[in-house]
Amino acid sequence: MEFGFSEDQLLLQQTVRDFLAGECTPEWVRGQWQTETGRSPEFWSQLSELGLPGLLVSETQGGLGMDETDLVLLMEEIGRVGLAEPLTATAVGVGLLRSLGDASLADAWLPKVAAGDAILAVAHPASPFVADAHVADLLIASDGDSLHALPRAALRLEAQTSNDGSQRLFRVDFDARDETRIATGREARALEAAALDRGALCSAAQALGACDQLIALAADYAGQREQFGVAIGSFQAVKHMLADVRVKLEYARSHVYRAANSVANDATGRSVDVSMAKIAACEAALLAGRVSLQVHGAIGYTYEQDVHVWMKRAWSLDLAFGDAVFHRARLAAGVIDRSLPAESFGYSHPQRVPTPTAGLG
Amino acid sequence: MKVMVCLKQVPHQDAKLDINSDGTWIQEDNIKFEINSYDTYALEEALRIKDADADTEVVVVSIGPDRVTQALRTALGMGADRAVHVNDAEAFGSDALCVAKVLAAVAKAESPDLIFTGLMTDDGNSSAVPPMLAELIDVPSATGVLHTEAANGSLKVERELEGGAIEVVELPKPCLASIQTGANQVRYASLKGIMQAKKKPIDVKTAADLGVSDVASKATIDKVYSPPKNATADILSGSTDEIVSGLMGKIKELGVL
Repeated sequence: MEFGFSEDQLLLQQTVRDFLAGECTPEWVRGQWQTETGRSPEFWSQLSELGLPGLLVSETQGGLGMDETDLVLLMEEIGRVGLAEPLTATAVGVGLLRSLGDASLADAWLPKVAAGDAILAVAHPASPFVADAHVADLLIASDGDSLHALPRAALRLEAQTSNDGSQRLFRVDFDARDETRIATGREARALEAAALDRGALCSAAQALGACDQLIALAADYAGQREQFGVAIGSFQAVKHMLADVRVKLEYARSHVYRAANSVANDATGRSVDVSMAKIAACEAALLAGRVSLQVHGAIGYTYEQDVHVWMKRAWSLDLAFGDAVFHRARLAAGVIDRSLPAESFGYSHPQRVPTPTAGLG
Repeated sequence: MKVMVCLKQVPHQDAKLDINSDGTWIQEDNIKFEINSYDTYALEEALRIKDADADTEVVVVSIGPDRVTQALRTALGMGADRAVHVNDAEAFGSDALCVAKVLAAVAKAESPDLIFTGLMTDDGNSSAVPPMLAELIDVPSATGVLHTEAANGSLKVERELEGGAIEVVELPKPCLASIQTGANQVRYASLKGIMQAKKKPIDVKTAADLGVSDVASKATIDKVYSPPKNATADILSGSTDEIVSGLMGKIKELGVL
């Protein structure tokens, strides 16, 4: 079994990292906070030229035909720069459209998504508000036992406030009609579950990137800021805090990569793997925010310092596509209540270890 | 038209560089590499010619170990058509003349109309290879080029001179230009380009394949070290007036003003 990423996948990751490092600076992110929509059509066009919105779209529809094991590394890079353009909703929406029994909607929309000419948004019951509904050309939303695909004109939006300047949230209302219904019953529930897992995976992967960046900011500052004549990073009280976050990050990374594999292959234990990943990655990112703030001291609380850009992204990502309470409850249902088979956890032939009947002598 | 672009893979600009155990070079294990920044401008200049003329073929050439494949793949992902990888341990990290000899052999085999290189490399900083290469294959060259304009039989270039002056030179083809940073806006490789690059050929050759021998470096590096910190720095303290007054005194003392 191959556990590592291929050279191609790592090269794609480096390509996206180089692009974002040059084009998505903290100054640019802060600049977007001040704009009316918070979104940049020009930047979306650049992302489309790069190929990001079309990553999961098939090659015949103008995309790259890749899967979540390719996507996960790129989402990590998106989190590393604190980019909040609707790439998660795009991945989730593409996944939904791709899985519909009737391909006509996918045929109509996916080529436009891949070309950067259409933006998707997704309303999921696990997230009360919808991100980026104001710029979406098509919203896929649940309504009772059905899923609906709605053009922007059919939506009534009410903007919500957010701690995170990068995030634009809306309460969405619409009239469900027969002509907007795309799935019902079991099919709708399965699509909704897959959408949740794909969205949570993307959020978890971005949390890894945000966490890594928060550690980097803190480590860099700890190497420069001096107290008692030496860099504060030389003090165990500081370096151990950062090491603890790094340990949490690397622990979470394994979960996220496994979850990516499970989503890509629609594995039996997909939901358990995704919940584990979401909990671990967001825990790590939230801790990184607190530690980075503490390492920076008073200056970390200032608006001018960049720590809050990523700290707020970590807060947003923690709540997106199911918060920690939701995912812990789902995990408990899967693991403690044993509603999932042992194969879900990687044991294809579970064997009980026999209880010893004789003493050691 | 065929344009040959010479690329070098160098340590990533963000890589933390440590000196190796015998103190003769940097520790190359576990650091990231990237295309020499000057060379990316050379590649972009070639790709712009290709954008304007679809019949143009851009061939990227690099010397180095297996890891160089990644740099070549990136260049192919940006739009180059094919690559030549000279993978010969004797030539790795060789001196400027030996590198130029290997590149000259590739140039003779490829017969390009134009050769673009970066002005220098981020790690070596010698600027010596481009003029040596031009001399070895007997073509005219221009260094420090900020702008190129390819015509049928010639290449018009603008070169950067001292003091901000620009020199305009027209070189008959075939010719070589070493490109200065900032000459253009370097494009990013797209994900699609990277995937398509897998299907583009990378021709791996040794020096012997190219008919070149004796390419090992004739120069040896005795020692690589970090410059010692200067202990003579004066740090002025006191009120702003005292610091300014002290600074003025130092400036006068040194005779700067």
